[in-house]
Amino acid sequence: MAAVQPNLSKMISAQLRNKANEFLNSRKHANNLADILQMFEAETENYTPLLLTIEVIFTELLKRGDLIQHIVPLKPIDHSPEAEYTRWLCECYEAAIVRALECMRRGKTSSRLQALVTACKLLQAEGKHPLEHTTGYFFPSVRLKNIFLVLLDSETSMSAPITRFQEFTEYRDMQQHGLKVLAALAFRKSPSPIYMQNFLELLDKLLAAKIPLDNKGKGKDRDNDENEMKVLCASEGKPNFPYNPAVCRRFANRCWSFACQWPLCEEPRTHRRALLLLVERLMPLLNRPHLATDMLCDSLDAGGPISMLALQGVLELVRHHNIDYPDMYDRLYAMFEPEMFATRYKKRLMHLTDIFLSSTHLPESLVAAFAKRMSRLALVGSPEDSKGLLQLVANLLLRHPALKRMICCEDTPAIMSNDPYVMEESSASRARALGSSLWEVRALRGHWEAGVAAAAARVLAAAERDPPLSLALEEDSALFDAELKKRFKTIEINFIRPQTMALPSGERLLQYWELTA
Amino acid sequence: MAKVKNKRNAGLADRVHNKKKAEANKKKLNPFEVHINKEKLKVLGKKSKHDRGLPGVARAKAIQKRKETLGTEMKLLNKTNTFIDRRIGEKNNQISAEDRMIARFAAERVKQHSKKSIYNLADDEILTHRGQTLEQIEKFDDPRSSDDEDEEKQFGGLDNDFVSEGHFGGGVLSKAESKDGAKSHKDLIEQLIAESKKRKAEKQKEKEQTLDLTEKLDSEWKDLQPVVFKKQKVQEESLIDKLLSKAEKGQDYDKMMRELRFEKRGTPSDGLKSKEKQDEEERKKIEELERQRELRMISEEAVTTLKNAKPPKHRSADDLDDNFELEDEKEFMLAYDKDGKPLVPEHVLKDYSVPNAKKVFDDGVSDTSDEEGDNEEESDEDDNEVEDGNTDEKNEATKSEDSDEETSDESESEQETEKSNKKGSTKNRSENLKESKGSKRKHSSNSDDEIVSSLDNSKKNKVKSKTETESLQSSESKSNKLNSSNDKNVSDEENDEDEDDEDDESSDDSKDGSDDDSKFNNLNDLKGSDESEDDDIEDSDEKIGAFFEIKSVEGDNLKELLTGKTPSQHTIALQKLIKSYDPGLSENNKELLSRLFAHLLQYTHDVFSNVSEEGDIIKSFLIFDRLVPFFYDLIHINKVSTKKFLVELLKEKYDAYKRNPKKVPDLNTLIFFKLVSTLYPTSDFRHPVVTPSLIFMSDILTSARFTDAYSVSRGFFIVSLILEYTVLSKRYVPAAVNFLRGVIYLCANTCVLNPVQVVPPFRLHKSAKILILERDCSHMTAERKMAAKDLAATEIDDSLKIRCILTATLMLKEFFDNYMEIEALEAIFEPHIQLLGRVDLDLYPKKVSKKISEVVTYMKQNLEVKTYTQMSRDKVKPKALRLYEPDIQDVFTGSKSSKLSKENADRARLQGKYKKEMKGALREIRRDKAYIASVKIRQKIQSDNIRKDKVKQIYKDASIQQGELNKLKRMK
Repeated sequence: MAAVQPNLSKMISAQLRNKANEFLNSRKHANNLADILQMFEAETENYTPLLLTIEVIFTELLKRGDLIQHIVPLKPIDHSPEAEYTRWLCECYEAAIVRALECMRRGKTSSRLQALVTACKLLQAEGKHPLEHTTGYFFPSVRLKNIFLVLLDSETSMSAPITRFQEFTEYRDMQQHGLKVLAALAFRKSPSPIYMQNFLELLDKLLAAKIPLDNKGKGKDRDNDENEMKVLCASEGKPNFPYNPAVCRRFANRCWSFACQWPLCEEPRTHRRALLLLVERLMPLLNRPHLATDMLCDSLDAGGPISMLALQGVLELVRHHNIDYPDMYDRLYAMFEPEMFATRYKKRLMHLTDIFLSSTHLPESLVAAFAKRMSRLALVGSPEDSKGLLQLVANLLLRHPALKRMICCEDTPAIMSNDPYVMEESSASRARALGSSLWEVRALRGHWEAGVAAAAARVLAAAERDPPLSLALEEDSALFDAELKKRFKTIEINFIRPQTMALPSGERLLQYWELTA
Repeated sequence: MAKVKNKRNAGLADRVHNKKKAEANKKKLNPFEVHINKEKLKVLGKKSKHDRGLPGVARAKAIQKRKETLGTEMKLLNKTNTFIDRRIGEKNNQISAEDRMIARFAAERVKQHSKKSIYNLADDEILTHRGQTLEQIEKFDDPRSSDDEDEEKQFGGLDNDFVSEGHFGGGVLSKAESKDGAKSHKDLIEQLIAESKKRKAEKQKEKEQTLDLTEKLDSEWKDLQPVVFKKQKVQEESLIDKLLSKAEKGQDYDKMMRELRFEKRGTPSDGLKSKEKQDEEERKKIEELERQRELRMISEEAVTTLKNAKPPKHRSADDLDDNFELEDEKEFMLAYDKDGKPLVPEHVLKDYSVPNAKKVFDDGVSDTSDEEGDNEEESDEDDNEVEDGNTDEKNEATKSEDSDEETSDESESEQETEKSNKKGSTKNRSENLKESKGSKRKHSSNSDDEIVSSLDNSKKNKVKSKTETESLQSSESKSNKLNSSNDKNVSDEENDEDEDDEDDESSDDSKDGSDDDSKFNNLNDLKGSDESEDDDIEDSDEKIGAFFEIKSVEGDNLKELLTGKTPSQHTIALQKLIKSYDPGLSENNKELLSRLFAHLLQYTHDVFSNVSEEGDIIKSFLIFDRLVPFFYDLIHINKVSTKKFLVELLKEKYDAYKRNPKKVPDLNTLIFFKLVSTLYPTSDFRHPVVTPSLIFMSDILTSARFTDAYSVSRGFFIVSLILEYTVLSKRYVPAAVNFLRGVIYLCANTCVLNPVQVVPPFRLHKSAKILILERDCSHMTAERKMAAKDLAATEIDDSLKIRCILTATLMLKEFFDNYMEIEALEAIFEPHIQLLGRVDLDLYPKKVSKKISEVVTYMKQNLEVKTYTQMSRDKVKPKALRLYEPDIQDVFTGSKSSKLSKENADRARLQGKYKKEMKGALREIRRDKAYIASVKIRQKIQSDNIRKDKVKQIYKDASIQQGELNKLKRMK
């Protein structure tokens, strides 16, 4: 929110602060408010100071209750200056909110984000100090609806503000009402891809806070939850917000049912977003998850990262909803291609594969083919990937003792002229992997990175080791830092003084490069 | 009759018969002599020895035995002496007298060679010389005195002529001559006496002269001694000196002798080694280092398994064969060195953070234990020099205690003046330096004058320096500053002494440099005029002197020093800089040099930054070429901090790269990988610098995008470096192999229908085929190597494409050779071969296409030959059951009292034995008694009989006498 052009913006914000203070201190300066609102018309990139100012002003006004109009039923409208002033303030308030929402659409990202925050803060303030006197809990759904209308823009991507919006969805009331509002807004015949994107992102953010699943344990747990529950518009002396997970779930379902009817699978970005939402957040909430089966199956065939995501959904279905999926393993097998290293979801894939292959009822030949393929891939992967794959192979060897013959053949080892394993075979069980051995793992013993070499050694020693480990997934670039942190007893250095750039022995750079002439 | 008839046969038969008979006789027992002991209880299976006995025989034997022992003893009873003749061969009559003597002499010699005297060679023989034993002769007297005896000639030193004349009187002829000479005998004698006296006097004089000379020599030697012999205790020597001077002449000798005896001998230093020997040692050292490097190549686990193969030294009796090892690490005693740092083994330091201990990587302090050795080796000579100087000074100090204070004052003032001068104008400094150029002694004498001249200056300058230091406080702490300036004094002095030598060296170097330069004729701009170099260098001297004065501008200093110079000038300047801050000269220099290392890194970075022209690139590499040896030197001076700098640099570069991982870093990053490979052993399994840089390179190759000439050429640069890193260890680097695969993919014609997999960052069907050759280039000449211009290239032209595929293929072959041992070779290289098969070789120059097809066939052949053996584990030997020591239990003794406790049973058994023995002994004694009695009775009877006989005889005689008497009577 800090101004970029320090001097000018500082001046402006100081000026604005002065004006706001003056306005708040006495009614004499009422025109200041009009001036401030007028300033929205100016074309600039950065509305942040303005937004902050109106946020301060109206939060204060709401707190004071200046905006409350005392409307007595069956009486003509009060024309006293006091009432006029209040009415004018209300108008200004409405105008300010409209301005703020407009600001969300244009200007710099920081300014847009500030607009969202301002709108939400005003919403919060209004929730705490409602314009009309209410006894119970009050949530200004209308305001939220307006915000959502802006967020669900059809032309511009709102992913930055939506991401920012996540800090408000932690509040349970915001979540519940948000879902409700969203469900009301959702219906649209043929939405644009950007609209879908925004919608899905918003839904994703709304579901970021987990919705408790069981309705039964309402007793003590519930009370505890309520104590900890964060409520946006809570104010003291008023009844608590009645949070109802079932309602939330219902609205979430409704949102998804609208989204289902859209052509989600046409654009890969939307498709991926939808799948991510479905798999990560929605799956446990859906009333009839098997309705998503078709979509997941289609996605599974799409290939690449999309199928990896779909795989997770399918796994969920298979595990919890008794869905039988044909050629599941062959599809999984097909995903293990060198290209998987380039995708973002490779770690997820490895993790899922570990779960998939943990069944001990799988045929040996199939698991062997997986092991073989993974070790082939480990041969070309980056150190981190190789380590993960080797860990997977080690787990396979541990869970399926029959695979031991791939690392230590019991009967007299035959000498073969080539590897019996067929890499190109698309069906795992026909790849003839059982007759092969994991030579690749042995090759990885000589990997330059010590961690990979150690992992390979662990695979080879897998036959007599403890239960399989879960895949520990490391961060990127952790390897480099970890290596720097390592301590060494001594620092070995070369013992022959080089006279030039070339090494005394084993120079390779200058063998391939003519650099000095 | 038959006997007569067949005499011969009968004789034989008889003999046989007789023999048999004799045997039979021998064995045959008289049945009447056999006494059978009656058995009371018959025990089955028991062998009894005593079932029968021969009482007669046994008795006879016993009696015989007693006769031999007790009998002889009795004979000698009450006799005081015995006489035994032990002369060899005395009793033997057969030996002649001579033989007897020989035998006795032999026996004597044998006795001498008994075990005791085996090592005392010639102990018994006393060697003599002219009848005197050597011991008597060897008195180690003053050799001077013996001169007299030597001089003594025959006849009291008289001439031969004289003797022959005087003693023998001469003949007639001679007498006549004497008469002619008119010399009387008396005259002659007088002349003789005078002559001899004169001679004696001369001799005396000569002797005194030599004595004087000897003494002088001795005293000089005494002076020299402290110089020649290292580290002598000053106090002691001075005492001896005093005593010596006080002592009288007579005592001198004894003193001297004693001193010589107890004096510390000069420590023997290693003799100068011949060149071959040095080379040999060098070679051995390098071999040893190579061996260690190869050891480090193996992973720790492998090493531990190797270690485990060795049988443990000790196995406890309670060992359960579970490979459990007691950790009996030696407990170390916590001790502190003089600085208050704990002396703790390295591994302990690592495991527990001892609060006082400095971290290993903290700075250059804690690593001294490792490095000291190296440094000492390097600066051995310097040390010696310094030490010599020290001892010199010490001597002076001790000798002239009075003047000691003076000198110290002098030196202090000297330092002060120098310090002040230094901070003052450079002119002043140079004056000072000129003065100090003289020898040390001279220097000290000169200093008096100097003080006078420079004291005034120092006063002035002190004020100046104060203001300066204040101004500098912001950039550096005051104390630091002072320290460094102090150090500089020392180093500066040395500096100037070195200067002359250096000038020679530098001139040599410049020659070399010019030689080298002549190689790069095509780069005229680089070949700076050698003549101007000396001037430059002189300029730079001042810069060097003040190089580390101010911390913040060190980097600028270096830049100033080096920019705009030819590579060979770089060498000279750096050589000088490093030499003048040799760590042997001052403590701080080590740290300063490590800072210099950091600045050199920065300089290298700057040199390689923003180079886009081919010429610039070449120039940068030429400069780098010259810098590398100095990097090496610096890294040897301070391993730890230089490593820290390099790692920090890598980290910085890595972070910069991570901000945009798709862009390949430029040369100012890549060059440091090359630097690492020249400085550190790249074959180590894990190395604090090499491993991170390998990770960095592999990261670049896996995540960067290779879409233009810039990135592809740098990719090749990295791959060749990776080859260099793994040339010894032959480790598997997938990133490099994948890169080659991708590059070949970019060169090859692949269609959608029949794809060959590539590994990210290259994408199937997505990566633009930038390297594919579109027109026929078969007539183009191909260059063998990639060149600097490729690094500068912005567009991919055909020649670059050709070079790319050629280099890729050659590298591929090298990787292939490196990984030949791996069984999964085919899985690794199959895609490459496929892709190379799709390259349209007709378009390439003949040489290139030939080379590529050669490599392809080579790889194919090797893959064909490759066999696959299923992996199997080594057969585990079944563990042998452990055998335990046999459990020995008491043998059943058959005693009745088995209920008794062990001690009691033993006691009872022993008592039984004792009783038995006692009984037997008593019986023996009784029998002895009986024997003695029988002997005595026999003797008594015998003597009685003799007496009786004698009595009878007497009676007989008497009766005869009586009879005769009676007869006479009767006759009367």
